[in-house]
Amino acid sequence: MRWWQIRKRDADLERELSSDLELEVEEQRERGLSPEEARLAALRAFGNPTLIREQSHLAWGLEWLESFLKDVAYGIRSLFRSPALTAVALLSLGLGIGANTAIFSFLDAILLRNLPVQQPSQLVLVGTGAWSGRSDAWAISELYSYPFYRDLQKNNTVFSDTASILSMTNSVFGTVDNRDHTEPMKVQLISGTYFPTLGVRPLLGRLLTDEDDNTEGNHPVAVISYAWWAGSLSRDPQVLNRKLKLGNTTFDIVGVAPQEFFGTTVGQRPDIWVPMSMIAFVPPNWGSYSDKRNESLYIFGRLKPGVSLDQATSNINLVFHQIWLSYRNAHVTQQDLADLQKTQVPLTPMEKGLSGLRSEYSKPLKVLISLTGIVLLIACANIANLLLARSTARVREFAVRQALGAKRSRLIRQLLTESLLLAAAGGALGIALTGLANRILLRMISSGPDTIPLDVSIHTDVLLFTIGVTVFTALLFGTLPALRATKLELTESLKDGRSADNGGQKTPLAKGVIITQIAFSLVLLVGAILFVRSLINLNHVDTGFNRENALVLSLDPSSIGYKDSEPRLSTLYQQIEQRIAAIHGVTSASFAMFTFSQGAWNNSVIIPGIDPSLSHNISQNVVGNDYFKAMQIPIIAGRAFGPQDTSTSQKVTIISESFAKRFFPNTNPIGRHFAIGVDQNVPQYDMEIIGIAKDAKFEGLGEGRTYTDYMPYAQRARYLQSLVVRYTGDPAIVSGAVQNTIHSIDGGLPITRVSSLEEQVAGSITQQRTVAQLSTFFGLLAVFLCCIGIYGLMSYMVSRRTNEIGIRMALGAERSNVSWLIMREIILLVTIGVVIGVPVALAGSRLVTNMLFGIQGTDAITLIASVAALLLVGIISGYLPARRASQVDPMMALRYE
Amino acid sequence: MKEKPDVLQGTLALMVLKTLDVLEPQHGWGIARRIEQISGDLLAVNQGTLYPLLLRLEHEGSIASEWGVSENKRRARFYRLTAAGRKQLQAETRDWEQTAAIIARFFNVKAEDLS
Repeated sequence: MRWWQIRKRDADLERELSSDLELEVEEQRERGLSPEEARLAALRAFGNPTLIREQSHLAWGLEWLESFLKDVAYGIRSLFRSPALTAVALLSLGLGIGANTAIFSFLDAILLRNLPVQQPSQLVLVGTGAWSGRSDAWAISELYSYPFYRDLQKNNTVFSDTASILSMTNSVFGTVDNRDHTEPMKVQLISGTYFPTLGVRPLLGRLLTDEDDNTEGNHPVAVISYAWWAGSLSRDPQVLNRKLKLGNTTFDIVGVAPQEFFGTTVGQRPDIWVPMSMIAFVPPNWGSYSDKRNESLYIFGRLKPGVSLDQATSNINLVFHQIWLSYRNAHVTQQDLADLQKTQVPLTPMEKGLSGLRSEYSKPLKVLISLTGIVLLIACANIANLLLARSTARVREFAVRQALGAKRSRLIRQLLTESLLLAAAGGALGIALTGLANRILLRMISSGPDTIPLDVSIHTDVLLFTIGVTVFTALLFGTLPALRATKLELTESLKDGRSADNGGQKTPLAKGVIITQIAFSLVLLVGAILFVRSLINLNHVDTGFNRENALVLSLDPSSIGYKDSEPRLSTLYQQIEQRIAAIHGVTSASFAMFTFSQGAWNNSVIIPGIDPSLSHNISQNVVGNDYFKAMQIPIIAGRAFGPQDTSTSQKVTIISESFAKRFFPNTNPIGRHFAIGVDQNVPQYDMEIIGIAKDAKFEGLGEGRTYTDYMPYAQRARYLQSLVVRYTGDPAIVSGAVQNTIHSIDGGLPITRVSSLEEQVAGSITQQRTVAQLSTFFGLLAVFLCCIGIYGLMSYMVSRRTNEIGIRMALGAERSNVSWLIMREIILLVTIGVVIGVPVALAGSRLVTNMLFGIQGTDAITLIASVAALLLVGIISGYLPARRASQVDPMMALRYE
Repeated sequence: MKEKPDVLQGTLALMVLKTLDVLEPQHGWGIARRIEQISGDLLAVNQGTLYPLLLRLEHEGSIASEWGVSENKRRARFYRLTAAGRKQLQAETRDWEQTAAIIARFFNVKAEDLS
């Protein structure tokens, strides 16, 4: 029988029974009984119609379903009877499940998922992938030149395939076919062996091969990503006939990569792949096809079958040393050769791809997943408490029902159903929240205006796991008391509605749960306070420049044909600076290679009388004459750059205060000379120091002293990515005017980004802010759940002990005594929880010490504040029940006996 | 009220089928009455056993039912035997007769028969 026929069947049966009963009544009447007597006699002879009906139901074999549906309905009704508690339970479950699944989706996308390529476990990266950019240093183990890649490919014996990829993505303003506007595209330069090494197959057309990468400059071909084909080209089936113009070169689109392939860097999603042979033709023309000291590539390979990582490492190191020795020339010093001897190249498994996100977020994500795990535990504890209280309070109800003939299994089944109902609703809420949390998180970790392209679709396994955990908790804590309750002596529990021995002693389980909650909340609270204080410390760091009222615009002259180091770049910059400085509301404007947290160009400098090995890693910046005015970095000695510093005059530089103190400790550096370009083929670049600027943070807020030298672009024409505009008044109006002015100078010059120094500073601590915000949220959530738990347990205990309290008061106990009776209980619970929580919190915070800034993990103030806060909220949430206890009317309480 | 023994477990189905074989169609109350009548009022049919049994037999296809008008001019549910039910009745009758014969031989056995 189908289950939906139940109702019809039931109606049929009822009709049949009543009509048959009528027949019986009829017969009894024929015997001469009065209608009323006949009816009673008939019922006697016939038996209980309801019972008959129920017995017949059993014959259908669907009784379980029927009672299940009834249980569900009853469960929903009883959950709605205490809406506040149900809402809290559902919300905590939903948040617990949602937060865990969301954070894990990120953990999975960033740390765990393999690249969608053939046998990713065979891929290894030469180096660690920690750097990106361009270097001209001797024999570094992270970035490599194109000739080095070719030499390594030829000479190594451990890779079946070797490939290379530019360590940066080119953001190009290119043109599709003959469209009349440029659009931003992310172009990734790769060696021809890239796709064959990965074993990726094209969706359409072909992918690049080594044939596209054998001679420089004559392979204008491009492979596009699925996402870009679907988005920018609207899935054009004729895509293979279309063309792209990047810079001055037109590229043929020869293929589309498969949908799942996003490249080899997690968190980046190139639109276009172009062979390395075209490296000089893709703006901003980074890298070189033939310069052995232009190190800007990552190299990776596929291990030959049977080759271990150790074998590969020793072979690659051998080849690495051979190649660098063969690059030796007159400029290479004994020191360089000694350095080469010491350099060891590590190989890094690349099955999960490259990622800057990984090094930045692996620790925070692990911390966050621990926090959310604890939140899930607390949520489960809360559910456990709720269910415990509910089913303990229903002991009497169960006794009555059992006395009336309900089977024990039937009661347990009903409790199971109710618990499952709660878990299922919580799970559904959790799924809904996961999607939302994923979007919020992605937004939070993306510092720029575009979100990071990361596939964080809901992770089914984790979702199932978290839902499984909550269902298990609900079942366990919903059923344990039920088993206990239904086993009891019926007469006992029928007799005592609320007798004295039913008070505190019978709730060790619930108390244990509360203590656990308090201990966990303390851990979360300590974490939250640490991260927030660390964030506050970061925000109070003196940047050395004024972050307020300064716009930062990024321009891309490479898209309109300007080449790096061209003198006409300076003319363009000067023109733009002058026109913008004339705008009403603009105080000063200056171009700069870097402002803040935009990367760095580090070099060794040669200072007469200073050991060169000490003057490595000096930050170089190329700026406009008004840079120090626009950034409001004070010049503490000497002068700023001016119109007298031209391409033909003496090369000049301004150094940072720390630079001056370190390398010119007892002399006035003004007028002294030093040079950059310590180990290059080019002649050394000698400069005279004309000024000292106060230290300004350069790469991040957390960095120590900054050793920086500044050069005027009038003497060193370079691509300068940023334009700083100091203004007064409304930023929106100034920003509009500045952009209009730039367009009026050259309509084709793309403005790739408009932001402010404030946003750049904020963006540089995105990770710390995300962690602080999330840990605060989880900490508050934990404390809130804890309060609910304490309040619930105490209210329940007060209601169970009303009787005892009544007797105490009748015997002369003061109201304050009674309050104390309850408060004592709470303080005891919170104290035990804190005592357990403190060592756990200390151990945990030691693990996160290196994520903190300006504060120790074992900070005493934080710990004391957390303990005090927990005690306070614990006492507040227990105060209401205690007050209620003190207001018990002894007569009312005793009348229940 | 005098206690009457309930119908023996398992035999009620046979009785219902046989009653319907002789007097069909018949409603539930009528079947109970007939069984009691045939037993010479020595048996009492428990309604709580009868209706589930009718449902089961119908579910198994041995009997079929339809709504009709009873002798007191009311709607009642009438049962009749199906072809399958008739076959089942024959089989069960044979089984029962065989069982009864075996039991009878046990009752009639004497010590000398076994020597």
